[in-house]
Order: sequence, then C-alpha cells, then structure tokens
Amino acid sequence: MLLGIDVGGTHTDAVLVGTDGLKAWAKAKTNHTDLMASIRDVLGQIVPQAGHEPITRLNLSTTLSTNAIVEGLTEPVGVFVAAGPGVNPNAYAVGQHFRTISGATDHRGRITSPLDEISALEHAAHCKTAGVSVYACVGKFSPRNPDFEETLRGVVHPQADFVSCGHEFSGQLGFGRRIHTAVFNASVWRVFNRFADAVQRSAIGFGLNAQVNILKADGGTMPLSMSRTFPVESILSGPAASVMGIIAVCDIDQDSVILDIGGTTTDIALFADGAPLIEPEGAVISGRPTLVRALKSRSIGIGGDSAITFVAGHVRVGPRRLGPAMAEGGNHPTLTDALNVLGSAELGDVSASRRGLNELAAQHGSDGRTMAQDAALAAVTSIRAAVIELTRAVNDRPVYTIYELLEGKRLVPKTVYVMGGPAKAMAGLLSEVFPEDVLVPGNYAVANAIGAALSRPTLSAELFADTQRGRMLIPGLDVEESVPRSYDLDAAQEDAARYLRQYLEHLRIEDPEGMMETIEAQSFNMVEDDAMVGRTIRVKCQIKPGVLPGYRKAVSRQC
Amino acid sequence: MLKAPSSLGVVFFPAYDWAISPTHPERQERLLYTQDQLREEGLFDFEGIREYKPDVAKTGDVDLAHFTFPDVEQVVTSSHLISAGGAMRAARLVMEREAKRAFALVRPPGHHAMKVVHGTRGFCTINIEAVMVEYLRERYGVRRIAIVDTDCHHGDGTQDIYWNDPDVMFISIHQDGRTIYPGSGFPYELGGPTAIGSTCNIPLLPGTGDQGILHMLDNVVLPVLERFKPEIIINSAGQDNHFSDPITNMAFSAQGYAELTRRLGAHIAVLEGGYSIQGALPYVNLGICLAMADMDTSQVSEPTYDPEMIKQEQRVTDYTLSLADQLRNYFMDPPPMPKHGRVEGEWFVREKEIHYDTDGIFERQTEKVFMCGQCPGTVVIESRADSGPLCLAVQIPLHACPACVEKGHEVFETGQRSKNYRRAMLVDRPGKDVKRVLI
Repeated sequence: MLLGIDVGGTHTDAVLVGTDGLKAWAKAKTNHTDLMASIRDVLGQIVPQAGHEPITRLNLSTTLSTNAIVEGLTEPVGVFVAAGPGVNPNAYAVGQHFRTISGATDHRGRITSPLDEISALEHAAHCKTAGVSVYACVGKFSPRNPDFEETLRGVVHPQADFVSCGHEFSGQLGFGRRIHTAVFNASVWRVFNRFADAVQRSAIGFGLNAQVNILKADGGTMPLSMSRTFPVESILSGPAASVMGIIAVCDIDQDSVILDIGGTTTDIALFADGAPLIEPEGAVISGRPTLVRALKSRSIGIGGDSAITFVAGHVRVGPRRLGPAMAEGGNHPTLTDALNVLGSAELGDVSASRRGLNELAAQHGSDGRTMAQDAALAAVTSIRAAVIELTRAVNDRPVYTIYELLEGKRLVPKTVYVMGGPAKAMAGLLSEVFPEDVLVPGNYAVANAIGAALSRPTLSAELFADTQRGRMLIPGLDVEESVPRSYDLDAAQEDAARYLRQYLEHLRIEDPEGMMETIEAQSFNMVEDDAMVGRTIRVKCQIKPGVLPGYRKAVSRQC
Repeated sequence: MLKAPSSLGVVFFPAYDWAISPTHPERQERLLYTQDQLREEGLFDFEGIREYKPDVAKTGDVDLAHFTFPDVEQVVTSSHLISAGGAMRAARLVMEREAKRAFALVRPPGHHAMKVVHGTRGFCTINIEAVMVEYLRERYGVRRIAIVDTDCHHGDGTQDIYWNDPDVMFISIHQDGRTIYPGSGFPYELGGPTAIGSTCNIPLLPGTGDQGILHMLDNVVLPVLERFKPEIIINSAGQDNHFSDPITNMAFSAQGYAELTRRLGAHIAVLEGGYSIQGALPYVNLGICLAMADMDTSQVSEPTYDPEMIKQEQRVTDYTLSLADQLRNYFMDPPPMPKHGRVEGEWFVREKEIHYDTDGIFERQTEKVFMCGQCPGTVVIESRADSGPLCLAVQIPLHACPACVEKGHEVFETGQRSKNYRRAMLVDRPGKDVKRVLI
C-alpha cells in the first residue's frame, strides 16, 4: 500500500492507496511553525487504518524549502563564481559572501584562462571568519567542464558542512540559474535535513518500513536520501502533487487544462496528449530563475478568498485578499461570498455573504445578486484569459529546426479539469466561458495527496560529447569519460539511457525502463579549415512524470 | 535579476536541419555556439528580453522584393522562407511595439540576393532584409527606411534591389571589393538616376579594426543618416569583420561590434554572414544583443582577444581618416548622374553581368529605369541566365505616378506580344498586383 502526504498551505492531506483503490484519507490543519506536527497528526490518523497490509512507500510533498526561501529563513551561503567573459556576474550576486573568481571556460569546456585559486583561498578565509559553513561553487559552462567547480569545492571542503556545485543539478546551460539553484540548495540544506531526520524518526515511530520519497516540482519523486543533498528539488512540489493527482484520478489522454482553484490563487497546468508539460528552463523561486525541473504552470491571483472590489465602474476579483470570506467571519466580500449568494456554494454563514454583497453593491447603485454575478463572471473570465495566454505561449515556444517549425504540434485543449476547494462551486460558471468540457473529478479534495502517493521517480540526464576532444559528460550523474573519435549519436543515446538506468538502480528505484524517453538528440559536424574534425553531440533523456499504472487503475474510476 | 533598459525581441532560428553541404561555412553548426552562449548567459531570463520563433514568409512576400525565375517554388526552399520570415517577425515585434528593438538571429543569410533571382549566390537565395523592408512598407506603411550593412562583404544584392529607390537608403561598410568577394561596393556606386545618393559604399582596407569602423560610423554613416532622416534603421549585421573570421581579412572585435551597435541604434538587426562560428559568433552576437537592449557590454570578449595583436596599423588609420573626409563630402553632394550606364530617350539603361557562385549560374541583364521626374520610375529588366530563355521583369514602384503605372502595364503587354520572352513577371505595387506569364 502507498501512503501519500501533501503538506499544503491550509491543510495537510494524507491518503492510503491500495491496488484496489483509495483505502483511507485524513486531513489536518497545517501548522506552519511545526510542519512535523501536521505530518504526525495525519500519520496518526491514517497509519492505523492500513491494518495488517504493509505500507511500502511514503511519498511526501512539502512546502518547507519553498517557505524557507520565500520567508528568508535560510542560512548565509559562501558563493564562489568563476564567470569569465560575458554578462557582468555581479548581476547574480546574492547575500554578503558572494565573490567572482577569475578564470574562464568556453562553450566547449576548454579552459581559456586559469582559475585564480589564491583569490578563492582568500574568499574561503573570509567566509570562515564570518562563520559561514555552507557553500555554493559555480562556474560558467561547468556542465561542459566541471573542473573549476571541483577545484573550488576542494578549497572550501575542509571548512564546510555542505558544498553545492552547479554542475550537479543539471547538464542544461544557464549560468545565472545555476548560481541561484546552487545557492538556494545550500541555503536550505540544514533546515531541510533536520526535517528529513524528523520525518525518518516519525516513520519509524509509527512502525513504518516504507521507502520514503519526497515530491519534486516536476511531478516526480526522489528518495529521501537524495533529497538530503538536493533539497532545492523539493520546492514547488505542492502544485505538482495536485497535477499528479488529476492524472491519477482521471484518464487523461489528450490535450487538457488543469485548474487548481485555491484560497488565494488559481494554478493552471497544461497536458499534451495526456502528459503534463515541463517548464523547459526550470522553476522560478522568489523571482530568481533556477534549473529546478518543474511542471509548466501559471498562477493567477484569483481564489475563493479573493476580494471583490469596484474599480472604474467594473467589478473586479483579486488579486488582493482582504481577509477571509464574510461567510467565515471576514469583513469584506470575497469570491466565496459571491458563490454563496449565487447558490453555487453553501459555505459558512450564507446570510453574512448576502449582507456583505448587498452593502458593497448598494454603494455602487447595484444589488447584491447582480454584483455576485458580475464578480463570478469576472473571475471565470480572468481564468479563461490566463489559460488562453498560457496555451498561446506554449504554442509560440521557439523551435530550432525547419521540421519542427513547419510540422510542429499545436496544443489544443479538449477538457478542463477543475480541482481545489471552490472547484464544485465554480464548475458551472466555468462551463459558461470555456468551450471545452469542464470536469470536476471525484475526490478532488484529496486528489493532491493521491497524486503524491502515486507519483513515480523522475530524473533527467543531459549528455554532452565532443569527439574532437574525445570527451563525454553527463554532469547531473557525475559521469565523465573518454570517447573515441568514432563516437556517434547512437552511442550517445545508448550511453545516456544506460547511465540513467544505472543511476536509478543505484537509488534502488524499480521499473527504471518505465517511462524513459529521449527528448533531444542532436549531432553537429565540427569543421575547421574545410575539414571535419569531430562531432559535438547533445542528448537529453528523462523519466517523464507519471503515476504507477497498477495503482492508477484502482483510483481512476473516480473521475 | 537583470533588466534590459530597452526591450529586445530575439528571433532565434539556427535551422539545425539545413545546410548547403556538410562542411560548408553556412552549415548546421553555425549558430550552435551562439545558442550555447546566449543560453548560458541567461539572456532570455533577463526582464525585457524575449525569444521568438520566426514567421514563415509566403511566395507573395518574396514577390514584393524579387523577380524569381522560373518561380519562387522552384528556387526557394523552406529554410529561406523561414529565414526571411524571421526578419519579418523582428519587424512585426518592433512595429507592434512588443519590443523596442529586435534582432533576427537567423540563417541562411540574404544580402547577396539581387532583384532578379535565378539561384543562390554568396550563400544567399532571397534577400531577407529586402523581404522584410517590403513587408514594413506594405503592411505598416513605413516610407523612409535605412539599411546599414556591416557585413564584411559588400551587400551587393541589397544595393541592387534598392538601386532605383530613393526611399530606401542603403549604406554598406565592407572590406574593399578589390580584395574580396563579391568585388563591388565602390564609392561611385551611388544609385540609379532617380535615386542617386541613396546608396553609399564605404570600402575599408584589409586589417581595419574597431577604431577604423567606429571612425567611419561617426564621420560618414551617422551624418548621412542624419540627413536622410529614416523612420526606421535596419542593421544588416554580418559578423565576418571579426579578426578570427576564416574567409575575410579584417580585425574587428566583439567590443567593436557592440559599440557599433550601440552608436548606430538600429531598430532591427538581421544576421548576415559571420563564419568564425566558435571564436567570434557567440561573443559578437551576445555583444550585439546586450548593446541593442542598452545593457552593459564591458565584460564581453573573445577568449583569444588580444588588443595588441589586432591593433590597426598606422597606414590603415591614416587611410581611414582621409577616406572618411572624402566620402562624407562626396555623399553629401553626390554627382547628378550615375557613373555607369547610358540614357536612351526617357530611359536610363545599364547592363549587368551576375555570377551565382554558389549555384554556378551566369546571368546577363539589361536594366532600364524610366526617368519620370515625378516618382522613382518604373523599372524594366531583361534577364537571361546562362543559355536559358530571356525573361522580362517589370516593377511599378510604390508611390509611382499614374504615368509610370500606365508605362509599366504597357511595357509588360508589349513584351508579351513581342515573342522575345519566355517568361514575364509584373509587380504593380500601387495596384497591389503581381502577374506571372509563361509565353
């Protein structure tokens, strides 16, 4: 049996899923000052319901890293950056202990100017004096040659509790993103590891022998052991859990839209042929772009608690919140109040909702019901506009070959799946503005936890080979090998898949073949003085996000 | 995060599945390292800089810029239509104010493609700037346009297309034609009789560096532009003046290109040549993007950059200074008639021989422009490629006077009846009409 826990902003949900369906679920208020308390709470409710059947896996999504970063509750990081020529690296300066070390590596991984180790040692000494004990070492083009990062790691290792090197996160290019990723990772390392310790202790306390996994932003999981080194990968796993929940409970096999309507925001995600779309570059945290793989989603400021206001003769909903709904004791009408007035919802004190809207309407020469209708319409219209915008952006994404440009698939959603608290109440209104079918899956209230329970591991590997230099690298998997001049695209594809499979086996992840796919495979002739001197080869493989097929059958009938 | 003071749209299209041949300088690998550099630098993460995919030009778009024989479909591949479409997309971004400036970083290039097209020359089949210029005029009604061609090779194709057009100022800075392909681009090439002075050629000695080009920019190009007062400035941005370029002999650096871009302040840049695909393009293109976005370029440099090694020789400096003075005066007060060609009644006639080096085609042309006095004048071209049939091309320009419109139709009809031609094509811009006839 699988146990899934989703630590959300308001509630912590847990489910128990067996091969024959949803066995149990539990809910608790999230305690933001002590997330473990909420986790223990739901574990206490749900573990006893498993009876004698063993719980083999516990998948957990947590807002811990995200919150720590957003709220600035992270520890200072000593940052070493080998930038070389290009954009001024000071643009990426974070914190008090950021230093650019001279030295340059080019796009092929050739060192074009040596690393200034003396200045690295000086910076290390400064960090030590300042009491810094976690570090990030990042070089430009390090996925093409991690030497500088390894040297820098060597410099600070003796004094460090933890060092993040940029090339460990991704083989993808993006110097600024690499800096942000490595720095965030180091900055949440301690707080996350304490949490991981507590999770492990609790699991043992409840007699669980389950393998513990942490959810990632791309809708996949990673073993708890791995999350200790890559805690930044656990950011934004909440929205990912919701999307995976929809996959679990609904049989999605075509282009679709997922709307997760919460208290303050509506998250929008897209599916192509039933598979969730991944953000090609990486997630943005606290305004800083990273290399953390994430599902493609967009968030707009419309949710149940969004305030209804009157601006320039028009009723507006969100993005502001002015406290809870009047039905729940607030003193400004919200979208939830409007839904109450329209009879689409019956939440809390409906008469308070009616009173609030009547008062606001009276100030603008209208009546409460009309204003509620206008508000609901404004909300669903904004949501639809955001969906159209996101779909357009996806269809407008750059492609680099004539084939892709002329034959490129366009995303045309057929169905809109709605989940989250106000989902049921909004569905009717949404069908009025969306030409697509609007569906609210059953169990939508705990679909996120089901998603967490059923998510499989994801991983990606980017291979880069340069046959002129006789080198092949897979930076994320720490692979670096010599290759013969005859090394070609087929060999590279085989290598990428093989190393990815090996890594999964090393992590003791079953079914590694499952959803492995090559998403990019290119080979270019390198020519010098009219003669071919070698090939530059780039291959990208991934285990795409998905849910365990066996269990999925058990829960998917609920859609 | 970094923010661009001026918004920039980059239309990036490296055409990873197209090449002339596997080891040709204009091959798949050409923009690969530029892409690596732009991605690594995170250019598209900066607020105000966005990447776009190209539009695809249609036959009708090509017809506004070229007379293509036998027809567009048989000469032009989709890669050319996409490259031209990339330039069109850049224009659209700027005209629709989605970006203050735009850079079409596309391949294959186009500036050697002339008014009449029978095939490919100098790696170019259709002139992507010209297709874009005609799109700017046709769709957005832009009237005065300046094209500043900073490719190391003379932009002979663009010059040919706008030779008789006083509304398009064409300025080319290039390595002296006596030392490099295509062997043209001399100061006396000033445009046809109805557009004299709207073509300016600035030939530079081999070995000219940043100092020389910036001197020409400040002392010749900018004053000429100032007088012309274009609504839009386009930079035909060839990167092959770079000291590491394998097929040229100049000494510009990425810093020089960035500074040139900053001072020129073009609204739209379109990539042309540049074949030092590892040592120059990644850095030059990055420098240009940053300069167009008005961002800091001070730390952009090539790994092999050594200011001492590429220092411009004194004799080159002396030559540049004196040439700049001469050219400025010459361009500001050009002679009244072209140096080459003859007057036949109301027509001005010139004979041309065009070599399509890439496709091995030789073409002979007779070009006639009607010296109307009221408008740029209808242009009539007779063209024969190798031993192929004689073709007739008639262009009635935008803003043509009624007499020139009538003249154009008359010549086209007479031509068809004469049985002298196998193929004839008429482009009537005021009437928005294109006719192709197989006789």
